[in-house]
Amino acid sequence: VSRRSTAGPPSERPGERRRAEMQKLYGKDAAKIMAMEAAMQLNFDRNCDLKQPKYWPVIPLKL
Amino acid sequence: MQRGWPLLGPLRWFRYVNKKVKVKARKDEEVRGWLFTVDPVSASMVLVDFRENGGVLVQVVMGHAVEEVQVLQEADRRTADHLQTMFLPPRTCILEP
Amino acid sequence: TSLSTSAASAADADELQSEQQARSLLREGFLRCLLSAANKKVQFHMYEKVKVEATFGACDIDVLNFQVSDLHTPIGVQKEALIRSQDVISFNFDI
Repeated sequence: VSRRSTAGPPSERPGERRRAEMQKLYGKDAAKIMAMEAAMQLNFDRNCDLKQPKYWPVIPLKL
Repeated sequence: MQRGWPLLGPLRWFRYVNKKVKVKARKDEEVRGWLFTVDPVSASMVLVDFRENGGVLVQVVMGHAVEEVQVLQEADRRTADHLQTMFLPPRTCILEP
Repeated sequence: TSLSTSAASAADADELQSEQQARSLLREGFLRCLLSAANKKVQFHMYEKVKVEATFGACDIDVLNFQVSDLHTPIGVQKEALIRSQDVISFNFDI
C-alpha cells in the first residue's frame, strides 16, 4: 500500500494525520490496530452515552 | 533495575514477554505472573497466573506504577503457546445471557 | 561512502520494522486482554490503599479511563462509574 506523500494542502482530510502517525508506529499492521482501537473506543463512548457514569472518586486520589 | 519502565520501548518490553516476572509497583504492591504483553501506549503490564483449579488470573499493572521488574523464569514451549492463545478469540461472549 | 550509508539506512529500516512489529503484537495483545475483561468482576487496587470491586465495561484507547458498573465503594454501590487510570496501581480478574 502506498501512501501519497505530497505536501499536505491546507484542506488535508481529517484523520489523515492520525493515519500517518499510526503508520509510523505500527507499520504494516496499522490498519488492523486502528480497526481494533476504533471498535474499543466506540464501545467505550457508547457505554458512556448510555450509562452516564460519574467519576469515582470525585477528586483524583493521585494529583 | 527498572526506574524507567515506561521509557523502555517495544523492543525491550518484548524481551520480557513469556517470562515469569516479579513486578514491584507503587505503595508496596508486588505482583507475580507470566508476562503476556505490555501495552505500548500506557506501558501497562498484563500478567497471567495459572491457578491450580484450572482457572486463570489476569493482573494488569499500570505502567505509571511500575517500579521494578525482575525476571524469575523463562517459559517452556507449552507455557509460551498457552500464554499466546490466552485471549483468543477476542470476542467469544458478545451475546451475554 | 554511499555504500556504508545505504547499509546503515537498511539497518535502520530493519530496526524500525522490528520495532513496529513488536509494538503491534504488544498492542494487539493488550486490546484483546481488555476486551476479555468486559462483563467480568474486576478488583482495582488504587492509591491510598483503596481496593474496590466492579463489573468491567470498557476502556478508552488512551487507557485514561475505565468504565465500570456496580462499583462497590467503601460507602456504598455506585451503579455506573468512571475510574481514572492515574488512580489505579493494578487491577485483576479471572478468566
